[in-house]
Order: sequence, then structure tokens, then C-alpha cells
Amino acid sequence: MLDINALISPENKTPSALSEQNLTQINNQIANQLNTGILVLDAEYNIVMWNRFLQVHTDKVANNIIGQSIFIAFPEVPERWLSRKLDSVLQLNTPSFCSWQQRHHLFELPHTRPITTDSEFMAQNCTFLPIETDGIVKNICILIEDVTDVCHYQTQLQKTLDELATISRIDGLTQIYNRRHWQGSLEQEYAKAQRHDKRLSLIMLDLDYFKLLNDNYGHQCGDMVLIEVSALISSLLRVEDIFGRYGGEEFAIILPETELSGAMELAQRICSSIATKPLTYKDHKIKVTVSLGVAQLSAEESNYEMLITQSDSALYQAKAQGRNQVCCADFSTSKPID
Amino acid sequence: MNEFHLTEDQQDCLQELINIAMGQASDQLARYLNTFVYLKVPSIESVDAKNLMETLSQQKNTLAVISQGFFGYEGIRGEALLVYQEEDSGRIADLLGYEPDELSQDEQLIDISSILTTTFLNVFARQIDNQMSYNAPKLLPNVKDKLSEHLQQMPFSWDLALKVNINYQVTDYSFNCNMVLLIPETAIINIKNVLDRILAEF
Repeated sequence: MLDINALISPENKTPSALSEQNLTQINNQIANQLNTGILVLDAEYNIVMWNRFLQVHTDKVANNIIGQSIFIAFPEVPERWLSRKLDSVLQLNTPSFCSWQQRHHLFELPHTRPITTDSEFMAQNCTFLPIETDGIVKNICILIEDVTDVCHYQTQLQKTLDELATISRIDGLTQIYNRRHWQGSLEQEYAKAQRHDKRLSLIMLDLDYFKLLNDNYGHQCGDMVLIEVSALISSLLRVEDIFGRYGGEEFAIILPETELSGAMELAQRICSSIATKPLTYKDHKIKVTVSLGVAQLSAEESNYEMLITQSDSALYQAKAQGRNQVCCADFSTSKPID
Repeated sequence: MNEFHLTEDQQDCLQELINIAMGQASDQLARYLNTFVYLKVPSIESVDAKNLMETLSQQKNTLAVISQGFFGYEGIRGEALLVYQEEDSGRIADLLGYEPDELSQDEQLIDISSILTTTFLNVFARQIDNQMSYNAPKLLPNVKDKLSEHLQQMPFSWDLALKVNINYQVTDYSFNCNMVLLIPETAIINIKNVLDRILAEF
């Protein structure tokens, strides 16, 4: 931390001590060459001193500003808030701080960075120091540090982290949740439903004859179908439903606070919507259908994986019965699949 | 018991110094806040690194931790952590004399922490003929998961921490927080020397 007092304290005098005058000259030059703004106020918050950094970063003329109230010289600072803050410095004789993370800037100074930032003004860390003269705090020194770089890189970093967080949850092709995130969500929803004794249903679905589609029309056609089907299903869901790509052409939907009949109804709607939706690929009409298995959480499951097993076996049954249909797990007679 | 632990006399002496410092600090605060502040005698305990981790991780509803470094002469330095619980932070803007829309809750917490830490440590430093400088206070991100991580990544290794429980009662609202002073090993030796000096003079 910058401590001008320490520079001029008598203890720092060496045997070849400088004269008071020389010391003052040195201190003035240091203050003027610092890349930090220095603004000194009296107890009425009038400006009594400022350094070159501030002079060159504002359009204000030195003669006009000395003696002016800080709130007149810098009308952009929030007066009531800053007065209260300055009061605390004078009354408690303690330093006070203001970080760019809470307030991007106090003073509207242009920054000198050739980088695109969100603000046209310099991001600032400000420190308010009580200055004692003759044992009484009569002045406040405001130090203004330019932290535009820090602010810029921190913002970039946060943006990248947010992007990474999204990428780690989303399936790149279909833009719905990937398997890992979906399964984590199921674990949470399962725990929630158990704790609060709420209903929970699950739909697993699989595209019929997807391998044939790929073989006949190519993988690009397959990709198109996966994207279209995902979008169609998404449009049929509520916001609280959690839709993910379980594997290749298999999808899964978590339905919180939904009982079996509601889940069956939705599964039927998905089944018929897809069967009646015309898809074309390079002038070929593509007929796509899906098979769906539905299960509801009952007292029998002791973990969320069992719920997946239940709906998976119902899906298997829908496939066995001729595809393009919905089957429901009969949990009264269900047995773990070997 | 190792060389960093305080003797009973040293502990008593420190407790007394902190009581006086806290008393004077709260007097100053009452003037600044312009309201009657009732302060309970702060409970102070010195805790070792392992115990502190356990106490802090047991606390539920930890809303925020504010950290602020302090530096004095004779190698007295460390970091102050102010730990807030969710229920204690509703009316800090009121307490500080701000309008609620003038500053965010983060800024309120940072402000009150800085005032408590610096007012207290300034008086404490004066008691032992010292003077403190301070880092800007900062809010630790995601305290719920990261507090123990932060404690392990301190810029110094520390064996002893002073836990000061501050409890302010103000007529219209109550305010509670824990102040934890983490002190590096070398600074503990220095503090012990200062305490011994005071005890010898007494």
C-alpha cells in the first residue's frame, strides 16, 4: 500500500540526511509521477491537493479545482453515500475502501487501454485514508488506482467459465442436456421426491430403426433427425421437465411432481407428434417414429438407477410390441432386469 | 502445547487488551452510528488450525466471509475474517446509515466488516504501541464450499487463530458476527514478546 507519510517520516533520515526542502521536492515528484490518482480533501470535503495523474485524466484546470467541493468538481460521485463513507474515515480514524467489484468506478475518468471494455470509464479501486496533522485527523487522502485491466480480464474469465459450464451440460448436436448432466439432475430430483414425498415420473424413448436410417441416407440425415426430434420434444415440455440425450438415439425426460397418468399422456402426445411430423432430407420424405417407456417412482425403488431400469424395460416392451407406441412399467410386478 | 501456544498469563493479558480495545472501538462506533450500542463482552478463544476448520465448517447458513489483511510494526500481521450468518445481515444498511438502494448487500457487508476490523485493530495496536495498515477488504466467493480451501491457501502458514465473537445489540435491530484473526507463526512469537513486555511492566 502507498504510504506517503512513511516516505517523509524522520526515521528514514540517513546520516547524509536530505534537507526538508529536498525531501518535499522528492515527495512532490513521486506523487506526480505515480500511476495512481491522489486527491486530498479537507474536513468539509473541499479539494486541497491533487496529483498529475488526475490532472491528465480529467479536463479540469488545476486552479479551478483547488478549494472546490469534491461533489461540485466531480458531480458524478454519489454524494450522500460518499459523504457517509468520508464521515467514517474522519470520525473513526480508519481507512475505508471501495472496490471495482462493487462499484466499477467512482470518478468518470477515461481509461487508456486499447481494449474493448464494457465501460468507457476507468475501473477503479479507491482507498480513503485519514491524514493526521498535529495529531488531529483533518484531511482525507483518496487514492484512485486504475484497475481496468484486472476488470477486463476478470470479466473475460467469468464469461469463459460460464461458457464452459454450459458446454459441460449441453449435448453439442441436439443442444439439450447431455447424459452426465441429465443423470445428475435425476439423482437430485429423486432425492427431492423422496425427502418431500413428491411424485416423480420418467420417460425413456428411442428412435425406431435409426440404424437403417443412417445406413440408407447417411449419418448427416441421422443427425438432422436427432436435431429435429429433440426440438419437437422440447416444444412439448414444461419448463420444470428435464430433457436429455441418454445415448446415441435414446432420450430421457424427468417429470417432477408428475404422476403416471400425466406422464403417459405426455408420452402419447410425443409419440403421435413425431409420427405425424413430416421430415425431409434432400427431397426424401423421412418417416420417423419413436418407442417410449414410462415409469413412476414408487416405494419400491431404493435408488434412482432402479427408476431408469423400470422405464427402460417398458421401452423394451414397446419395441417388442411393434414400435411407435408407449408402454408403462407395471411396477406392481416389476423385477430387476438381469 | 507448543511454542506458539500462549501461557495462562499471556492469554489473560491478551484478553484484557482485546476487552479494552473492543470497548473503545464500540464507543467510537456508537458515536459514528449515532445510536446506543450495547456490546456484550466479546468471547475470545485461541483455536488451533484444525479446530478452526471444524468450527467453521459446522456453522450452517454461513452467508458471507469478508477477509482483510493487516500489517503492523514488529512483525505483527495477519488476516481478519468476518463471518456472517444468514439471519444476521438483514439491516446492515440501516445500521450504517445508508439508504438500502445506495449500496448492494455485498458492499454493506464489506463496509461494516472494514469498519469493525480497522476500528478494533487500530485501538488494539495503540494499546501495544503499534500502528496498523490494511489491505482492501474482499468478499470470499462461494464460502459454502470454499472456506476451507481459502484457509489452506493463505499466504502464510498459521497454527493459532484468535476467534473473537462480536455481538452488538442496537435498540432497533440486532447484529451478530464472528471475527476470526488468523495470525502467522512468526507474528505469534512477536505478539508473545509484546505480551511479555506488558506483563513485565505491569
